[in-house]
Amino acid sequence: MPTEVILPRVDMDMESGKIGKWYIAEGGQVEKGQLLFEIETSKAAMEIEASASGVLRDVTGQQGDEVAVGTVIGRIFAKDEKYTPPAKAAHAAAAKPEVSAHTAKAAASPVAAPADHDAHGLRATPKARRLAREMGVALAGLQGTGPRGRIQAQDVSGSSKPSAAMVKDAAGINREWLVKGSGMPLVLIHGFGADLNSWRPLLGSLPPDVPVFAVDLPGHGKSPLTGVPNIDTMADAVAGAMAGEGVSSAHLVGHSLGGAVAAALSARLGAGARSLTLIAPAGLGPGINGAFVTGFLAASSEAALAPWMALLTANAEALGPALVKTTLRQRKDMGGAAGQAAVAAAVFPEGTQTFSVRKHIDAFAGPTKVIFGLEDQVIPPSHAKGLAGTAGVHLFAGVGHMPQLEARAAVGRLIAEQVAAGSRAGRNG
Amino acid sequence: MTSPVRELSFAQAIQEALGLAMAADDRVFLMGEDIGVYGGAFQVTGDLVERFGADRVMDTPIAELGGAGVAVGAALTGMRPVFELQFSDFSTLAMEQIVNQAAKLRYMLGGSVSVPLVIRMPTGSGTGAAAQHSQSLEAWFAHVPGLKVVEPTTPHDAKGLLLAAIEDPDPVMIFEHKLLYKMKGPVPEGHYTVPLNKAEIRRAGKDVTVAAMGIMVSKALEAATKLAAEGIDAEVIDLRSLRPLDIGTVSASVVKTSRLLCVYEGVKTLGIGAEVSAAIAESEAFDHLDAPIMRLGGAETPIPYSPILEKAAVPQVDDIAEACRKLASGRA
Amino acid sequence: MSNDAGRAKPSPDRGNRPAIYDHLTTAQVRDALRKMHLIRRFEESAEDAYVRGQSYGTMHLSIGQEATAVGICSVLADSDYITSTHRGHGHCIAKGAEVKRMFAEFLGKETGYCHGRGGSMHIADPSKGNLGANGIVGGGIPIAVGAALSAKKRKTGAVAVSFFGDGANNEGSFHESLNIAAVWKLPVVFVCENNQYGMSVSTERSTAVKDISTRAISYNMPGVTVDGNAFAAVAQASLDAVTRARRGDGPTLIECKTYRTRGHSRSDRNRYRTKEEIEDWKTRDPIERFEAEIAALGLVSAADIAAIRDAVEAEIKDGVAFAEASPLPSAADVLRDVYTV
Repeated sequence: MPTEVILPRVDMDMESGKIGKWYIAEGGQVEKGQLLFEIETSKAAMEIEASASGVLRDVTGQQGDEVAVGTVIGRIFAKDEKYTPPAKAAHAAAAKPEVSAHTAKAAASPVAAPADHDAHGLRATPKARRLAREMGVALAGLQGTGPRGRIQAQDVSGSSKPSAAMVKDAAGINREWLVKGSGMPLVLIHGFGADLNSWRPLLGSLPPDVPVFAVDLPGHGKSPLTGVPNIDTMADAVAGAMAGEGVSSAHLVGHSLGGAVAAALSARLGAGARSLTLIAPAGLGPGINGAFVTGFLAASSEAALAPWMALLTANAEALGPALVKTTLRQRKDMGGAAGQAAVAAAVFPEGTQTFSVRKHIDAFAGPTKVIFGLEDQVIPPSHAKGLAGTAGVHLFAGVGHMPQLEARAAVGRLIAEQVAAGSRAGRNG
Repeated sequence: MTSPVRELSFAQAIQEALGLAMAADDRVFLMGEDIGVYGGAFQVTGDLVERFGADRVMDTPIAELGGAGVAVGAALTGMRPVFELQFSDFSTLAMEQIVNQAAKLRYMLGGSVSVPLVIRMPTGSGTGAAAQHSQSLEAWFAHVPGLKVVEPTTPHDAKGLLLAAIEDPDPVMIFEHKLLYKMKGPVPEGHYTVPLNKAEIRRAGKDVTVAAMGIMVSKALEAATKLAAEGIDAEVIDLRSLRPLDIGTVSASVVKTSRLLCVYEGVKTLGIGAEVSAAIAESEAFDHLDAPIMRLGGAETPIPYSPILEKAAVPQVDDIAEACRKLASGRA
Repeated sequence: MSNDAGRAKPSPDRGNRPAIYDHLTTAQVRDALRKMHLIRRFEESAEDAYVRGQSYGTMHLSIGQEATAVGICSVLADSDYITSTHRGHGHCIAKGAEVKRMFAEFLGKETGYCHGRGGSMHIADPSKGNLGANGIVGGGIPIAVGAALSAKKRKTGAVAVSFFGDGANNEGSFHESLNIAAVWKLPVVFVCENNQYGMSVSTERSTAVKDISTRAISYNMPGVTVDGNAFAAVAQASLDAVTRARRGDGPTLIECKTYRTRGHSRSDRNRYRTKEEIEDWKTRDPIERFEAEIAALGLVSAADIAAIRDAVEAEIKDGVAFAEASPLPSAADVLRDVYTV
């Protein structure tokens, strides 16, 4: 076998070489150790010796040729060796080990970069951006108190003062802190025909140290009716009131119509809604006591109103005459029940609930409770069937449409459970 | 069963650890300059030579490179040497054996050896020793895979970290701040260890996180006391382990407070705090930051001699307090 | 104790039979020859793989220096230590390394001595006392002193041999190591393979003394210069030094005058020395001389030599095949073994 003359690697990073001059020509005699050819490099020419003695044949690399390291560029046949032509495709392919320049990369944890379209060119801290995202607040409308106008977390969530820049508070419904304090509050939303004062009897049964925030729905209590009074606009109005008070996260509690509003509101707040407690809620089925709604709205005297309000509770004496009087007085102050009538017309036309909030309840990821009195004569307790298995359904015997009044201690306890469950899993904010 | 706890100085705690380790394990021995009869430049080794003999408390010639290499060779072949460099600045003379050999032998040799070597060094400024005897070079070594780097800030930790380091199979560098040697603190009797990879929260708080190392931990605690009176509640974290860094502890703190200040004596640029800042920006704490991450580090200068200049070259208590005020008030 | 710097000890008159052959068994002598052939063929094969572009990085060949490696190691046990240099393939083989695992390491394979993590300059085999070739000139010298310190403390009777080149003898680590070894009377043997050139700068131009062994005087230890290409001289010097060390009398410096016929590394253009010089040293090939000597002493026959050569060829061939067939490491394991825990 002839000895192969290869283009050797002479530098560490060399992958090819330029053949310089040949000292021996094709067919010439060469002795082992004799100079055979040169490689030209950037450093200096490298002399290559013959590794065997014999006759040089099959020279394939000429002066000036650039060939890959390991390429056979000639063959030396020993003195008595018979010449054989080179095999086809005899390419001294260098089987280079697969080496990629590996640098150990430290695993980079992905940075949660929010797609905040509002924030181009805006300075805002990461925390402010996150809060704004969670609350559905546009950064662009906010005033930044940080250096160079940077929006900080306090500018988004507000401290105790409402900010005029809160976009969604345009409706400006009446609201009140029934229990002041710090920490995540309860937001109480009353039912049709009532107002925020209707929650006062429950206050003593609520968990201590939890602030309580209540609203008057549009057309109720001190809140004017502006715009279309459906579940969604009413939920928007409550959201606006919360934002106005700097409340970004809360436990939602709603009664009757207010329950439906609370469910719709939970969808708007996202992670800001920590728990959902619905007391005899509307929005779970078409049935509602239409006669009650109509009679309640039409009554203008105690004698006419009292029998309808008696339907609200299982025990006729539970409400007491004072409430009837108060209801009538409010009606007079507001110049009639036009607002409430408009609401009724929108949500309970012809004795039918024209909306459903089941999807909101099923979609809500936090702790959920639905409470009904089995003697409810306004909204049938059978509406509680068919909810997601994760929703707790609590049915009270001997209780009517007002469990928060008729079983206030029990309802208070259930709300306390909601507060505990909803606060545990929460994030900062 | 808890051990009795008594007050020891930082230096005494280290000496106690060395004595315990040598008594328990014949393989443990000490090497360093002037650590025998002289008792060590900072009187850390004290009378250990009388208790254990010159064969186990070995004075080396002034030959940091040779000494470090001998320690590496001994560690490779079954011994557990504790090598003292008289000043951390002299690690520069031993760099070859520390960085090219000790840190890399296990890896280069495919895992067939370990180098259970401990290197202890006094570090930092504040003694008027000037530029070549006052550096804080932790970041250089924390940058080298294969090394473990810790810096105790209390006598309790000085003892526990050293015992852990001696028992660890890999090379561990321990930086001991010179100004801490006389600091007194509670130290349990007997054997215990402190993990080589955990930071420690020295003061819980909710308004701003101060991540500090070395002598800066004490300064940060002093600043925190001042700030508490102003209604600013600072959480002070002692990083303690520099390689690996316990970013998890810092991150959890920043999630709570939303504000981070890193304080370190080493030169600010490219120092330990630079790494902490970057790691926090990459962590889940990013979305909780309500202010830019701030760093206080050593000035871009060799450590000067004159006391007023020496102090100006490294962060002081007032610098830390002022930075926290800026952070807490949204002015950072 | 007189210092024999500059002169090899004359061998006792046994009719020209060097005394070392009384100490080594015939089997050991033949094994020494086998190892020298193995080193030579291994280096040539490694060189071939390199020039064909099959191995990565560079390598530093010790062709022409076989007698030093094998001579020194011929009197060592597996429990004795060596540290070596970037030009350490010969030392590794002399201390019992398997060539197939060395080939595999050059090709960066998982089956190599360092699982592909170290390459040519960091081959080590702790089970045979080989604490590793080292890429830093002078890097292994203090490590060997540390191993000697450890052996003395543990009373194992082991010695440590530090191989280094003439270039290292000007490094601070050399001086610090010899001083410490002498002051602490450690069982270490310092072996300088003086092949006349650092990289391109000759010892004449770089070293203040003509014979490196004279530096032993500065460190109060014996210094010996031997013909590094004469197996018997090298082995005798090694035996003397190792015996002294095991006795507890401390270190020795042995200078082996030798030559590398190849360049420093493959990129070496050999512009710093003449062809004549290279040719001259080639006539003093250590393997040819050793073969001739032991054949003349009747310790080995022509048939033995042929058998050794064939066995070496087979071992090389098998080793190359093993290496080529072995798997590469997985990139996912890049962080493995940075730490023990």
